[in-house]
Amino acid sequence: MAGKSGRTISAAPEKAWKTTIFSWEGIMVCIFLAVNILCMCLSPNYQLKNVLREMPKYLAEIFLMFPMVYILILGDIDLTVGATVCLAASLGCLASNAGLPMILVLVLMLVVGTVCGFVNGLVLTKFTELPPMIVTLATQIIFRGIAEIALGSGGSVSLADYKSFKVLAGKVGIVPYIFFLVIIIGIIFAVVLAKTTFGRKLYAIGSNSVAAEYAGIHVQKIRLIVFTITGLMAGLGAIFLTSVLYGANTTTGQGFELDVIAMAVFGGVSTAGGKGKMAGAMISAFTIVCLRIGLGLVNVNAQVILIILGVLLILAVMLPNIVTMVKNQKKTAARR
Amino acid sequence: MKRKMLSAVLCAAMVLSMGVSAFAEEASLPDASGKTFAIVTKSAGNPFNEREESGFQEVIEACGGTAIIKQPEAATADAQVSVIQSLISQGVDSISIAANDENALQAALEEATDEGIKVSSFDSKVNADSRLTFVNQAGVSEIGVTLMEAVYDIAGGEGQWAILSATSQAANQNAWIEAMKATMEADEKYANLELVEVAYGDDELQKSTDQTQALLDKYPDLKVICAPTTVGINAAAKVLQDKNSSVKLTGLGLPSEMKEYIGDDDAHSCPYMYLWNPIDLGRLAAYTAIALVNGDITGAAGESFEAGEMGTFEIVESDDGGTEIILGAPFKFDASNIEEWAEVY
Repeated sequence: MAGKSGRTISAAPEKAWKTTIFSWEGIMVCIFLAVNILCMCLSPNYQLKNVLREMPKYLAEIFLMFPMVYILILGDIDLTVGATVCLAASLGCLASNAGLPMILVLVLMLVVGTVCGFVNGLVLTKFTELPPMIVTLATQIIFRGIAEIALGSGGSVSLADYKSFKVLAGKVGIVPYIFFLVIIIGIIFAVVLAKTTFGRKLYAIGSNSVAAEYAGIHVQKIRLIVFTITGLMAGLGAIFLTSVLYGANTTTGQGFELDVIAMAVFGGVSTAGGKGKMAGAMISAFTIVCLRIGLGLVNVNAQVILIILGVLLILAVMLPNIVTMVKNQKKTAARR
Repeated sequence: MKRKMLSAVLCAAMVLSMGVSAFAEEASLPDASGKTFAIVTKSAGNPFNEREESGFQEVIEACGGTAIIKQPEAATADAQVSVIQSLISQGVDSISIAANDENALQAALEEATDEGIKVSSFDSKVNADSRLTFVNQAGVSEIGVTLMEAVYDIAGGEGQWAILSATSQAANQNAWIEAMKATMEADEKYANLELVEVAYGDDELQKSTDQTQALLDKYPDLKVICAPTTVGINAAAKVLQDKNSSVKLTGLGLPSEMKEYIGDDDAHSCPYMYLWNPIDLGRLAAYTAIALVNGDITGAAGESFEAGEMGTFEIVESDDGGTEIILGAPFKFDASNIEEWAEVY
């Protein structure tokens, strides 16, 4: 196999195989399988049809994880997504009850989400010194506040025409529509991230935004685009959440932002920016969802489930550090 | 035989502990063996919910059934949807739920009904389409009148008062607040009372404390706070008593939590308050679930059933178009009886 240049590629496949297994994504696949086996051992009710039936509510969150991965890779953070879902869902339901046709309600929800994301992006790109955590924390409060005012006293709206939304919660056999949509959109996000110049630019900005700027990348334009897309996906999440909840209230989407960030980080995306893959985040999202469903089936206390997820998250973040620590120790030992 | 003995002993213990005197002959318990009954409460760490759960569990187990107790991870409808979905997967026979949102659980509960699960609600109802019947702790108007009368009495007939509620979308809270407003408008004698604000403490101790503080700051002339939630009244009682405030408190509270705040003198922040018995509410929810699963009732108005030692209950029309079962009138706790009830719950 050795070519004239003297380079050999015969060892490449083996190495690729090894790196795949020992990459974070490879570990994630193992964890995913382990979680599923564990859940099957724990509960006889952990069956495909039950898991798929319980999934749609969680899948609405995964829509938000895709753009969150982009944002984290940029080295930014967005705490607004839950509130954006709440605002889009609330306004959509109110408009539907006011007689707006279904198709326009869907468009409205997407537009509301997109506008929210655009507002975030605009503030962050016009005033680049502002920390995204504080800005999105503020807009989160504003968006939820607007939703609360729109919902009025009682803080809740229920869809009069819920039957139209129920269609969205339909299934092909035992697989809900939303499952296909999540997979398709996930693949699009993954391909854009891994195979396009846009994706490369995200990594470049996240690794060193100043260097990226000097290299001719329109950093602020790209940030604006990513934050706006996040809003759009929040609108999509709102649509599917509405199809499950038949309405909206002031707590709709509460905590989504942290769930989603946790999923991404567990999947190997670094909050410091520049690192992470969509595949890892996606497997991690499904791992967390499966674990939640499985532990729910054996009636583990909801708070205990949260603690377990928290511990897993800390371990996931610590693991790379521990590995480096062990490696460094070995190196120092070898030098001696 | 052993089980019968056990249930008889349990029954006796239950009755003795509650001090119910009208226990003429041994009440016959319905049979729930081999069946699974789930109860879903509004939030974790809420003592009132915990008492409801214990009452529910006690009856289900005394009748030979299996009880599953589920608390959502947060006090939201979103979180309750996941819980309901999980119970459907487990193939339970019945779900009794105290809802965080009246309408948002409809899709999940309809799915449960389609799977043959008997769905009823208690404490805080779900809409009429999502349930077979609703176990109501007390008639809404009764609570409105009782609390309004208390506010009138404690305020001395005139002045500013405020409400400290739980979440803004809790169906029961909103119904009671509406009932209080309706009572106030209907009778001339309440004309000198001014409701300045309905504050929401989200049934969180810290938030309720902050909201109480905000009320005191905003309305220096405030005379009475009425908190129709056990978490809210507890938080407010502590704030008022610690500050030695002249503002007085009433509402719905747990005796064990409110013991040190109840009294007629100025050293105590709450002259008296009301509540029904959450243990009894859980028990009645359990008997209702068993009767539904056994086919003794379908949840239609006019039906009646035996709730063990609690006696006979009738299903009546509810004003939301569904049906309900009413536990009884709210019970008054004041300086004379608080010590004794604080031991119970």
